[in-house]
Amino acid sequence: MATSPIRRDDHWSALMAAAQDGDRHAYERLLREIVPFLRAVARRRLRGEADVEDAVQDALLTIHQIRHSYDPARPIRPWLGAIAERRALDRVRSVARRAGREAALTDLHHETLQGAPTNEGESRLQARDVRAAVAGLPPGQRQAIELLKLREMSLAEASARTGQSVTALKVATHRAILALRRHVIGGERD
Amino acid sequence: MRTEDLLAAMVADATPVKRLRPPLMRAALWLGLSVLAIAAVVGVAGFRPDLAERLDRSWEVAQLAAAGATGALAAVAAFHLALPDRSDAWALLPLPGFALWVASLGWGCVADFVRLGPEGLALGTSWGCLGFILGLSVPLGGAMLVALRHAAPIRPVPTAATGVLSVAMLASVGLSLVHHLDAAVMVLVWHVGAVLVAVALSAGLSRPTFRAARRLSAAFA
Repeated sequence: MATSPIRRDDHWSALMAAAQDGDRHAYERLLREIVPFLRAVARRRLRGEADVEDAVQDALLTIHQIRHSYDPARPIRPWLGAIAERRALDRVRSVARRAGREAALTDLHHETLQGAPTNEGESRLQARDVRAAVAGLPPGQRQAIELLKLREMSLAEASARTGQSVTALKVATHRAILALRRHVIGGERD
Repeated sequence: MRTEDLLAAMVADATPVKRLRPPLMRAALWLGLSVLAIAAVVGVAGFRPDLAERLDRSWEVAQLAAAGATGALAAVAAFHLALPDRSDAWALLPLPGFALWVASLGWGCVADFVRLGPEGLALGTSWGCLGFILGLSVPLGGAMLVALRHAAPIRPVPTAATGVLSVAMLASVGLSLVHHLDAAVMVLVWHVGAVLVAVALSAGLSRPTFRAARRLSAAFA
């Protein structure tokens, strides 16, 4: 059954008055019924569901803390709404502070340190490993990799240069990549 | 923590609480106590020798009345601002009285200048005034913040500022009955200065002070 806001106000007000007198059942019922209202107030200010829920919990704690300041002769919604609004604004501020202090992770953060020169050592070591692995390939495969991957020639250009068919180049490249992968990954596992 | 668990913890902790009395009644009680405390200090310090002559001047009586009214209205404002469902506009209540008081002191400076020439605006030091007002504002203001501690999660800064404005204005009225300050410029600088320092301190320190007040009252509860 849908109740009008005024009836609901009176109902919540009576529950809060009973809760102030120590009626735990009334308090529990009130809290369960007001959570959606508090959530709606918080959602007007906050986007993330986790932040909304934090603001709702902060509002609940404040309500608990100052429940003696509610006067049952007055409507309860402005009282609840003001508390929910304050806690939502606090959360907005803390979200803003967090945003100022933190940044989303990018590819750069996967490096040991930011900036190319600091990571040069690592990339040089990796390049040396790759070069050594390429040097260890059979001549046909090595040539295919050098022309197609390192010099970035097209299959047609490489075919013209070496006199091999496109299919033969493809097969050689495929085998070379498999061999390199085995070599490099195997090297890392050691 | 899940909201569900929080609700359960709150319900388990739901002991009966004593409802606050209406804010006007609390303000009246507070004013009564403050006036008694200030009257006691004034009684110990003794009235200024020229008090009767001063109170014959309607201008000075009006000035004192403006200061006293500002103090009373600031207390009413503070007790309202401490409640979540009252308007922020209560903070404006003491401002007209305060403006009137400062303006009357400013006008007094002009009158002194006309009467005495530049000497009328000679500014001396009166650390005593500052000490009197701050000396009364700190304990009375501290007690008021304990009475208003439920404002801490709602409007700590305006509540503390109006509360301490009330105390400082009443202290200034008390000081006017005790201390011999002739020149309006001296009153303007030392009384208004002390009131503004007290209000600025209370506004700036409102959050930690409220926290301390809550801990203090919890320790005695």
